[in-house]
Amino acid sequence: MRLRIYCRVILLLAGLQSGYTRAETLSPALLYDVACSACHSLGSTTDHRVGPPLGDVKRRTAGAVKGYPYSQAVMDSNHVWTLPTLVAWLTDPEAMIPNNAMNYSNALTAEETLRLAEWLLEQSGD
Amino acid sequence: MALTLSRRRFLQASVIASITGAQPGHTQTGLGKKIVVVGAGLAGLNTALILQRWGFDVTVVEARERVGGRLWTLDHVLGSPEGGGNVIGANYGRVIHKAHELDVPLRTPARTLPSDYVIGGQPIRRDQWATTDANPLPDDWRSTLPERLLARLNNRNPLLTTRAWHDPTLMATDEPADAGLRALGFPEAAIRLIDANNSYGNNLSETSLMALYRVMGEFGRLTGPGLAIHEATAGNMRIPEAMSRQLRQPVSMGDPVLSITQTRSGVKVSMASGKMVEADAAVLAVPAPALQQMVLGLPDSQADSIASIAYHKIIQLHCVAEQPFWEAAGWSGSWWTDGLLGRVFTRPIPGDHRYNMTVWINGDNCDALNAMSKADCTEAITKALWQLMPAAREVTEIGQLVRWSEDPFAGGSWALWRPGQAAQAHDAIRTPAGRLFFAGEHTAEAYRGMEAAMESGERAALQVMRALS
Repeated sequence: MRLRIYCRVILLLAGLQSGYTRAETLSPALLYDVACSACHSLGSTTDHRVGPPLGDVKRRTAGAVKGYPYSQAVMDSNHVWTLPTLVAWLTDPEAMIPNNAMNYSNALTAEETLRLAEWLLEQSGD
Repeated sequence: MALTLSRRRFLQASVIASITGAQPGHTQTGLGKKIVVVGAGLAGLNTALILQRWGFDVTVVEARERVGGRLWTLDHVLGSPEGGGNVIGANYGRVIHKAHELDVPLRTPARTLPSDYVIGGQPIRRDQWATTDANPLPDDWRSTLPERLLARLNNRNPLLTTRAWHDPTLMATDEPADAGLRALGFPEAAIRLIDANNSYGNNLSETSLMALYRVMGEFGRLTGPGLAIHEATAGNMRIPEAMSRQLRQPVSMGDPVLSITQTRSGVKVSMASGKMVEADAAVLAVPAPALQQMVLGLPDSQADSIASIAYHKIIQLHCVAEQPFWEAAGWSGSWWTDGLLGRVFTRPIPGDHRYNMTVWINGDNCDALNAMSKADCTEAITKALWQLMPAAREVTEIGQLVRWSEDPFAGGSWALWRPGQAAQAHDAIRTPAGRLFFAGEHTAEAYRGMEAAMESGERAALQVMRALS
């Protein structure tokens, strides 16, 4: 199941990166603002928001922010956040980790999802 | 390491600056293009604030003389009970964040007193429900309280993903909820009790079973420790009020939209006052019954989808009890009935010795009462209340009658889905029609209620920005 999701994501990434022009698109900062910021800060510690912070998400293991009440499903998933895993998660969280607690419907296009995921990972630095 | 941190902080600062509008590069998305948002409820205000933040020139027009839509705090009744949306779910991240951002304090609501029951006119104490002869349920169902019967759907909820409730494949198996419950082994008595006070359909025969699975699945997701619900301390309407104060242009109040025409380069919005507002696009963030009163020139299939959505009927009578008169007779304070009163929710007013007592009638049980004048309706409910609780008469003040389906700008409390309907209609009602975009809880995917309104505003704002940037 997990392998199938990754394969789909890799095909998606390859397709998008080969032919897509990035002019005239919504900036990833805008996409984060509209689609994520109400529930996720870019800091590294929990705050009033209902989702975990995304500041250090790159290569973090899913469920690793101290003090955040993750669902058991996320805690048990052992995913590490990389571009393919993050794109898969944003595209359809329930397909990737069934029974997770994030009630989220992605309103972004596949290309927007990819750019947002790339940008979120960049926020973690190198 | 120091370099990495510094780069990250720089990027974070850039994002924060761009979001707050401090960095001009990111605020040019809208390039001052003009958007009219119709409706100053949570959906419209969230859409408007996002678009304003990203450089659009936004005008919000509202038919009522207040903002908030179906959030309506009854400030003139002691305890300021909510006539509209009352629960901010623990996972309502957008509502909670907006309240936090705008310094609107939230609190955990006072706990509603437990319910006793009145079935077939016979009062039953809560602790005697499972054993009393008046309990109409068969043996293996008797210990389930009436308000928890529907939750037994979660024993085998087929909706594994957020979108599945309107997925065409699953929808092909959708059926009327009463038939569906019967097929699942719910006894007739349980179906009757669910229908007596069903918040998720006007009657079970016209309610989608999948829609009920959706609601129950959402509640199932919320069970667990530490998931406290919230309310705004001074009333939930303080949230949309605070949002409206963030708009650069004040909301235009008390002027309903009559029609919108699309031209080659924009829209012309005609108001009841005779005023005309021109813009590059319009976002319609009002319930479907209010949309139907406007001339919009939508494609027939989309107009038919909007017209096909039923809205839930709710009548509330908000009262204030001076003292806990129920205690002397050994009752718990709230009631769940299968009669005219529906449910009576009683809860202490924080910082006061008195109680808010709300009669709450659902669905088709409202029909006879909605056919009456306001005064006759209030009298009929009050008479039933005194009959059930004679001791209440001397110590209870009748406050405000709320009838959502009689409100022309709401047409009911929230959108309902008939069996099989959502497979096609849900997409149709949120698909942009030229320069017209749609928001509102009925257009949301993941959530219901206040959070659905906020969610829909994000999606609508993205659609506008893609189309006009």
